[in-house]
Amino acid sequence: MRVAVGDDAVILREGLARLLEEAGFDVVGVAADADELLELVDRSEPDVAIVDIRMPPTHTDEGLRAAKAIRESHPSIGILVLSQHVHARYAIELLASGTDGVGYLLKERVADLEELSASVRRVGQGGSVLDPAVVSQLVGRRRQADNPLEHLTDREREVLALMAEGRSNKAIAERLFVSEHTVEKHIKNIFGTLQLPHSPDDHRRVLAVVTYLDSE
Amino acid sequence: MRAKLFLLVPAAIAAGAGATWLAAHAGADRPTEPGPWLTALVGASLIGCGLASWRARPDNRLGPIMVLTGFVWFAGLLSEATSSPLYTVGVAVEYVFVAGFIYIVLSFPSGELRGTIDRALVGVAFACALGLQVAAMLFGSGAGLRCGGGCGDNLIQIFHDNGLARALLDAQRVVGAVLTLTALSLLTLRWLRASRPERRELTWVMLAGNATLLALAVTVVDDLLGNPLNSTPAKVWFATLALVPIAIVATFVRRRLARGSVAGLVVQLGGPTEPADLRAALARALGDPSLDLAYWFPAEARYVTGDGRPVEVPGADSGRRSTFVQRDGTPIAMLLHDPALEHNSELVQSVCAAAGLALENERLQAELRARLVELNASRGRLVEATDAERRRIERDLHDGTQQRLVSIAMSLGLLESKLAPDQIDAAPIVREARTALTLALEELRELTQGIHPTLLVERGLPVALEELCRRAGLPAHLNVDLDVRLPDQVETAAYYFASEALSNAVKHSHATEARVNVAYDGATLTVEIADDGIGGAAIGPGSGLRGLADRVEALGGQFTVSSPPGRGTRLQARIPCA
Repeated sequence: MRVAVGDDAVILREGLARLLEEAGFDVVGVAADADELLELVDRSEPDVAIVDIRMPPTHTDEGLRAAKAIRESHPSIGILVLSQHVHARYAIELLASGTDGVGYLLKERVADLEELSASVRRVGQGGSVLDPAVVSQLVGRRRQADNPLEHLTDREREVLALMAEGRSNKAIAERLFVSEHTVEKHIKNIFGTLQLPHSPDDHRRVLAVVTYLDSE
Repeated sequence: MRAKLFLLVPAAIAAGAGATWLAAHAGADRPTEPGPWLTALVGASLIGCGLASWRARPDNRLGPIMVLTGFVWFAGLLSEATSSPLYTVGVAVEYVFVAGFIYIVLSFPSGELRGTIDRALVGVAFACALGLQVAAMLFGSGAGLRCGGGCGDNLIQIFHDNGLARALLDAQRVVGAVLTLTALSLLTLRWLRASRPERRELTWVMLAGNATLLALAVTVVDDLLGNPLNSTPAKVWFATLALVPIAIVATFVRRRLARGSVAGLVVQLGGPTEPADLRAALARALGDPSLDLAYWFPAEARYVTGDGRPVEVPGADSGRRSTFVQRDGTPIAMLLHDPALEHNSELVQSVCAAAGLALENERLQAELRARLVELNASRGRLVEATDAERRRIERDLHDGTQQRLVSIAMSLGLLESKLAPDQIDAAPIVREARTALTLALEELRELTQGIHPTLLVERGLPVALEELCRRAGLPAHLNVDLDVRLPDQVETAAYYFASEALSNAVKHSHATEARVNVAYDGATLTVEIADDGIGGAAIGPGSGLRGLADRVEALGGQFTVSSPPGRGTRLQARIPCA
């Protein structure tokens, strides 16, 4: 899988490139800012672009804007946005532009190479990734007692969180050491309780779940 | 000086008696002008009023000029004398008093001519009255000098050309008519352009002066058309001429009467006064509604308004004048007033003296307010500096420590992947290190977010508050009516206000629910956080609420707490966004 990396801190972009190569990815190039990254993407058409959210010149959300630009010009390229902050708002904005092949991860997730390469692969294959910290902020948010979320069992909430992270039924089953069949049963219950329209597509349900979590 | 002025009185009486006698005993075969009564009246008015004005205002040139004009007026009557030397002098100076009169009306009230036009006008008038007259006398005598008969001999006649003499005198009258009308328009214009207090000064003299000028113009034209002397227009002219000095003295007397209002002022200031009252009282006493007061602020060595804002001393061309009030050599206040009051410095000085204590009181209060203004500004600067410092720390942590920690995390990830399958003991240690590192990064993230909320800068208040409510430790409903970006310090203050209030709701109020309402009406941002907790919150020293109040008040805002025991807490901040 071919990957491009955009980060203004040289120590991080070189480190990330090295890590990804170690994990078996083909790093087509690195970029120090959004313009450079867009140019790199145009030139080498990678499968995934990994981009730091905070880059020059304003050090605010350039990475997010670059991600949106790439989505528009190259809809097939997966995008993984890295952030040092848990900003659910940015994650939701990113997913709202289409959940296929997008991801939002905290930077520190790079410490777990296995998890990182799984996420990059998922995004590259058109799946979506939402950082567990963001999801737990959404799921763990305090709500009033009569909220439908309060009627879910603990296990169902776990499944809901993993769904929001963008994981497939199979992955959820592996995580929770249960059968895929059990996971499907939980999901059916969750969608029933929350009165969400059931979507068989692993990718599309992420947005439905996240939007629900954000709105309540 | 005053004593010496009395010496002029006998001289004036003598001159007046002589002139009146001459006017009364002129040859019966020719009409005389202006006749004994008008001769005495005009002269007495000029010299009498001139002396009165001279005595009251020795530094004003108007008095001496009026007296001099009066004497010249009497001297002109020598033209009725039969003695040739007297006749010659009389005819030569016969019309000089007109130049004096023009000087008087144009220079009123200061006694100084104000501009080139004024000076030129008086100069030409003098040249016309004396120069052309003497020129005519070089050529003509008797009828050539418009004498009906029985005149003395013209001693300075050199040529004999009565025609040229008459032509010169006609020219004198034409120029005189033009000058007169010019002076009339000047006076009228000046009156129209004057400020209210100035106008009050000018009105009487302007009316008398213009009436005289008009009558003079008619007289001159009448004379040119060949009508005999001693005509009605001439009599009207002389009569109105006598009014001008009276108008001048009347104006001066009224000024003196205005000083009577100082007594009223003293009584008024005896009672308690508000800043506005003091200004109004002084404006009334000075007759200048445009009066403004400024007070000396020694800390910054400048003048400030009653509510503490700095005031500049008006420049010479600003159309305003300033009078400085001192007590025991230290400045207290500055009166900003109409230039007209400059000619009435006695009144201004009396008013200042009467109001000295009240002004000093007011100055102390103004100083207090100025210090408050200064204090507020420095409080705002402190908050601003704190915010800038927080931003810098957040940036430093993000660019430095956080990145270094992330890079260590990467190395750990790499290390883990490189561990050979037989190094099974090392794997848990690496995992441990990774977990600890993740925790450290999490804590650092919380810390930096608390120091400076980046989302606030990047996306504005509504988004930042939304995120804040999402993270709050209790269900928080957000209702924002704001679709513009506000100044940084306002957004920051509102954010910290909401943040602190929400954490208070969880920690101290034991609330189960909170509402955050934000509204902006174009001028003021209102942030309100209400919870359903135990209430009983109060702003005390060292409480979190005190810090909130400080931040809001530093921006000139208002902070209110409503927290009846058992009925929840409602905190409201109203922050001006000017």
